[in-house]
Amino acid sequence: MGERFRHIEGDQYVVTLSEGERQFLSDVTLMLNSVDSTNHHDAASTRLKLPVYLDDPESTDEWWRLMGDQLETSRELDRSVFDRVMEGNEEVVLTAEEAESLLRVINEGRLVLAARLGIRVASDFDDMDDEQRMALDFLHWLLEDLTSELSGRL
Amino acid sequence: MTSPTQVIVPDSDDLTDQDRPWQVVVWDDPVNTMSYVVYVFRKMFGYNESKATRLMLQVHNEGRSAVSDGPREKVEMECYQLHSFGLWATIEQQ
Repeated sequence: MGERFRHIEGDQYVVTLSEGERQFLSDVTLMLNSVDSTNHHDAASTRLKLPVYLDDPESTDEWWRLMGDQLETSRELDRSVFDRVMEGNEEVVLTAEEAESLLRVINEGRLVLAARLGIRVASDFDDMDDEQRMALDFLHWLLEDLTSELSGRL
Repeated sequence: MTSPTQVIVPDSDDLTDQDRPWQVVVWDDPVNTMSYVVYVFRKMFGYNESKATRLMLQVHNEGRSAVSDGPREKVEMECYQLHSFGLWATIEQQ
């Protein structure tokens, strides 16, 4: 298994993912797009819209009213980069900014998947079945690889 | 040069609620990885690896860490950026 994320020159990174990996990750896009921020019964929606002022629900509502749309737009832009990588060839070149978008989406995928699997505390990871564990582990590896590559350029 | 003048520093008790600085607090969660959190702190706040790691460990071990402070507008924007990275950040007055 070769390097999946590699800095090449300037602010450019090359992403190398096999067809099978991209196929798996395309399901992540579907999963993220299924999160409805108005559905408070979805643990994933709740995880992506956490309280900001713990003792002040009105200020939290105001913060989300002011920032929520901007945050959603930012997430959609990140996902468009992610989609471009999934729809591209085995190797795709990204700018550093785009690579960071990819990083945020991979992390968001972990957060949403973990929320829907009912992971609230670390010990909940022990209750997953093999398929669930494999999915989260793969996203974990990708996240760690890309974090390491981006950290090297800070 | 101007001549020195006495500066009256208010006691902390004299500060009104509006005067007290605001801070951004990041909370522990079981999903975000340690290296990712360190990366976010370094990227967002320009902290060196040592400081970013210390703050991350405080989040991990104590459940929370105040990672930045300042005027309310500043910490609200920082909170926004932390949420865009998927971290759970809250705002509170010191």
